[in-house]
Amino acid sequence: MSRIGVFVCHCGENIGATVDCAQVAQMSSSIPGVVHSVDYKYMCSDPGQTLIKEAVKEKKLTGVVVAACSPRMHEPTFRRACAEAGLNSFLCEMANIREHCSWVHEKGDQTTQKAADLVRVLVEKVKRNRPLRPIQVPVTKTALVLGGGIAGIQASLDIANAGQKVILVEKDPSIGGHMAQLSETFPTLDCSQCILTPRMVEVAQHPNITLLSYSELESLDGFIGNFKARIRKKARKVDEKLCTGCAVCTQKCPQKKIPSKFNAGLGMRTAIFVPFPQAVPNKPVIDIENCRYFKTGKCAVCQKLCPAKAVRFEQEDEILEIDVGAVVCATGFDVVNTDFFPEYGYGKYPDVINGLQYERLASASGPTLGEIRRPSDGKIPETVVFLACAGSRDRAKGIDYCSKICCMYTAKHAMLYRHKVHSGKAYVFYMDIRAGGKMYDEFVRRAIEEDGAIYVRGRVSRIYERDGKLIVKGADTLLGGEPIEIKADMVVLATAAVASPAAEELAQKLHISYDSYKFFSEAHPKLRPVETNTAGIFLAGACQAPKDIPESVAQASGAASKVCGLFSQDQLSREPLIAAVNRTAPPQYSSCTGCFLCESVCPYRAIERETITTRGGKPIRTIARVNPGLCQGCGTCVAVCRVKAIDLDGFSNSQLYAEVRALA
Amino acid sequence: MSEFEPKIIAFVCNWCTYAGADLTGTSRMKYAHNVRVIRTPCTGRIDYMLILKAFSAGADGVIVSGCHPGDCHYTSGNYHARRRWMVFRSLLDFLGIDVERVRFAWVSAAEGAKWAEVVNTTVADIRRLGPYTEYQNLIGRGVERSFQV
Amino acid sequence: MAETVRRTSGQTVVNDMEALRQRARELLDAGTVQVIIGYANGSNRRVRPFFARRPEDLERLILDDRCVLNLAVYLRKPEVKALGKAAVIATPPLLRSILQLAAENHYQESEAVFLALDSAGNVLELSSAEQIAGVLGSLPGSTGQDACVPSADRMPALSAGSTDRQARFAFWKQEFERCIRCYACRAACPMCYCEQCLVDSNQPQWIPVAAHSIGNLEWHISRAMHLAGRCVNCGACSEACPAGIPLNLVNQFLADRIQQEFGQKAGTSAKLDYALSVFSGSDRETFIK
Ligand code: SF4
Ligand code: SF4
Ligand code: FES
Repeated sequence: MSRIGVFVCHCGENIGATVDCAQVAQMSSSIPGVVHSVDYKYMCSDPGQTLIKEAVKEKKLTGVVVAACSPRMHEPTFRRACAEAGLNSFLCEMANIREHCSWVHEKGDQTTQKAADLVRVLVEKVKRNRPLRPIQVPVTKTALVLGGGIAGIQASLDIANAGQKVILVEKDPSIGGHMAQLSETFPTLDCSQCILTPRMVEVAQHPNITLLSYSELESLDGFIGNFKARIRKKARKVDEKLCTGCAVCTQKCPQKKIPSKFNAGLGMRTAIFVPFPQAVPNKPVIDIENCRYFKTGKCAVCQKLCPAKAVRFEQEDEILEIDVGAVVCATGFDVVNTDFFPEYGYGKYPDVINGLQYERLASASGPTLGEIRRPSDGKIPETVVFLACAGSRDRAKGIDYCSKICCMYTAKHAMLYRHKVHSGKAYVFYMDIRAGGKMYDEFVRRAIEEDGAIYVRGRVSRIYERDGKLIVKGADTLLGGEPIEIKADMVVLATAAVASPAAEELAQKLHISYDSYKFFSEAHPKLRPVETNTAGIFLAGACQAPKDIPESVAQASGAASKVCGLFSQDQLSREPLIAAVNRTAPPQYSSCTGCFLCESVCPYRAIERETITTRGGKPIRTIARVNPGLCQGCGTCVAVCRVKAIDLDGFSNSQLYAEVRALA
Repeated sequence: MSEFEPKIIAFVCNWCTYAGADLTGTSRMKYAHNVRVIRTPCTGRIDYMLILKAFSAGADGVIVSGCHPGDCHYTSGNYHARRRWMVFRSLLDFLGIDVERVRFAWVSAAEGAKWAEVVNTTVADIRRLGPYTEYQNLIGRGVERSFQV
Repeated sequence: MAETVRRTSGQTVVNDMEALRQRARELLDAGTVQVIIGYANGSNRRVRPFFARRPEDLERLILDDRCVLNLAVYLRKPEVKALGKAAVIATPPLLRSILQLAAENHYQESEAVFLALDSAGNVLELSSAEQIAGVLGSLPGSTGQDACVPSADRMPALSAGSTDRQARFAFWKQEFERCIRCYACRAACPMCYCEQCLVDSNQPQWIPVAAHSIGNLEWHISRAMHLAGRCVNCGACSEACPAGIPLNLVNQFLADRIQQEFGQKAGTSAKLDYALSVFSGSDRETFIK
């Protein structure tokens, strides 16, 4: 027989002012099974908790209902108190008479009645609670980091330096990401590669980091502490172990006219290539789409010339299966396509370029060796127009958000141009300048005041070609919308940062959520910015939202510290509110009929098939089984099971039934 | 006779609507007292049987609510629920059961005001429809006993 | 008592009965199967299931349009299983239910043999779900579904275009009130294979057991929900109901709704395509506010 204690909290005036707490306690005392029922000013205070603990012991309570605030607030508090008094913490429930009652209704009998009803519901529930123990699962202390840009690099190094193993997976032949493409970085104008490449080398040499470049995640199964990742190691066609990186092959390859992705299409590369000189690993890859040998069966120059005999035309993709305990997703961003701005002639006029291309022009290692020369004829442009917010904050383009980095890099672009072309004119069209950040506003000012960038507030409506010039037509909104026309030699669009095209598919593989722009969603916008809603998967960098380098690095370190926190335990404790399929005596063994409808609804693939056999191993029947490590307790299977063979602790059939009946 | 006070039972998911209703409270928005919330982990857990049980427990109206599509804490519980509700609702309608008495809603954890609105409009609708005697009359005398808990 | 139009003609006796018997005989003789499950004449011009274990029994086999009973239900009965492997005289509705059962892991490959007649009168011997799925569409009468329907004057509430909810309620209330909870419908349904039906489970007792209005309504709603997206429309339930409740109307309605909404139809393939275990992000939700 149940011995339930009811504890009604006044929460000071919060509940007490609208609900007659004493009466609620009084009404609750007559519910069958309730042996103790009191009200008190502050249940969550020390004396309040002591009240509960003493009653648990003295009255030998088998269940506790605390009628107070939302369980989302204080359930852990009261469960702990019960546990301290020797009552299994899962035998404690809360009736929400504050958020759901006293705060939303006027003082009166009806409000008191509602509070009493809510208590009755929870009393009927708690009578049917079972004592439970948190589930312990072991933790595999290896982290999987997806993406080898600055965020992924930072996260990997932090985790590895804390003594944990890291598998870093990068889809491209080299790590480095977008940061490796940048020229100088705001607001300090230090050279991007100079600060990045040492960290890339550190990654390659770190004993705790296994770098899988030119690889992609195929699938991820499992759960926090116990993921199973399948990784496709794409065929480089070069044996990484034998290759010494001598670069004979890349010099001798006859296919030389392939636009280089690293140079944002402004430079050329060979079919066997290393994306850039400082690549890590510094081992070439054969691009089989463009390789003469793969197209015609003839050539094999690289194979013949390689002194290490490392070229392997027959090499195939490899699938690696790796156990990991946590995942850091740092897959970065992309910029919008050329077809995005027909009005600007982007993609049509070679001298209308995007910010990333400009970075390559300004980079000392770029196709022009750092001289600003326009793509069409290699001339040094005398007038350059920079367009901030190209696509960003533009409802019509479907990008409502601010890409965040463009104001700053546009100022940098104008500044670099003026440094390199002293006679040149730099115009910047902007909507407003967003320069929040340490030394950021000062930087923009410097561009305007010291380096003479001409800032025009307004939007550009059209760009077209006339007499060899790009005519930029816009309006100066500070001068009352006065039309303005600039004859430019080159136009740089600060194109919106968008989620990478593979983001959606990746999110589905990881079972994480994403927003309408396909940026990955953090678990809480304020308080859990590096976690996802899937336990054990963390976010770093611009895959979550557009970010600059310091922010990406900070978030990466945040994610790394979450991973290290997770790895500091050998076992994880999880809430045991999970589903289970019943077991009964032979010959049925379970009321499960083996229809496996539950299998197809479970979002976590937690339902397995179990064949019951005779002692001799002869199969009797196949029924469902819930993998307690995978089940997250949504209960979708319970609702879909016709025979109710499957049930969910904490929200069981008998509990919910009794809760409804309590309101009859 | 005093005004008819509808009895409304609400089944909500823990992560969105329950939290949304908490937000209504923290924002101190007022709404009709007639609703009694039963917490479930996810709309995926909300069995159609519970809706029937609510009516047989004397509810004049039922609210079923959870996360918006795409927001389910368990990613897809609400999509499964949506299909089930569609079929269930069609069935009830075919059998002549008043589907206007079951209000399905998406209320996110941020939509405190929407929760108040959902409750208020449901209460107003049910007030207009009157007590669900048609259904309750099915529960003959002596039947009560068979609802053993 | 209201009357249900039952098809009692017994007219269209299949001409190729002899061919069927012949093949059945061969199977028995060869020992491939130990029992032939089919139909025979019972009392009162009714048909009854018939289990032929000796070649001479085969003379009594019949197949006509009164054979609505779905013989698939016998395949799961232990006492039938005890007889050995069975060959079943198959109609298209029966084959549909075998496909659905296979999709739900309740028909194992080659568990039984099905003897069906194609439109040229040849006997087809089918045993895998794949074979069944392959020929089902071309069998005579495979699309027709006209299990018992109450006469039009009995169901004004349901006639096309009725918007009178209360009339519908009154109609079904009256129909369901006649239910005596004998569960003949469940026993006749090939898809009702659960060993422990929801209605038999207590703790909690979801559905009151006694035959009263609320319990009956809840039972029939549950039955319909459990068969939604799974019912193959064989009509065996209505045929079996001693009270003549037009049960399959409810199932048929839901089957149609599901096909309209989700494009899924039960009993068409052995691959599980259960409308309620999958979803689409674009499912309609106009009713959710
Ligand atoms: S638990 Fe239920 S839904 Fe799952 S296989 Fe068993 S009977 Fe089917
Ligand atoms: S409760 Fe949810 S997560 Fe757990 S087995 Fe059932 S459907 Fe899967
Ligand atoms: S958790 Fe809210 S609907 Fe699934």
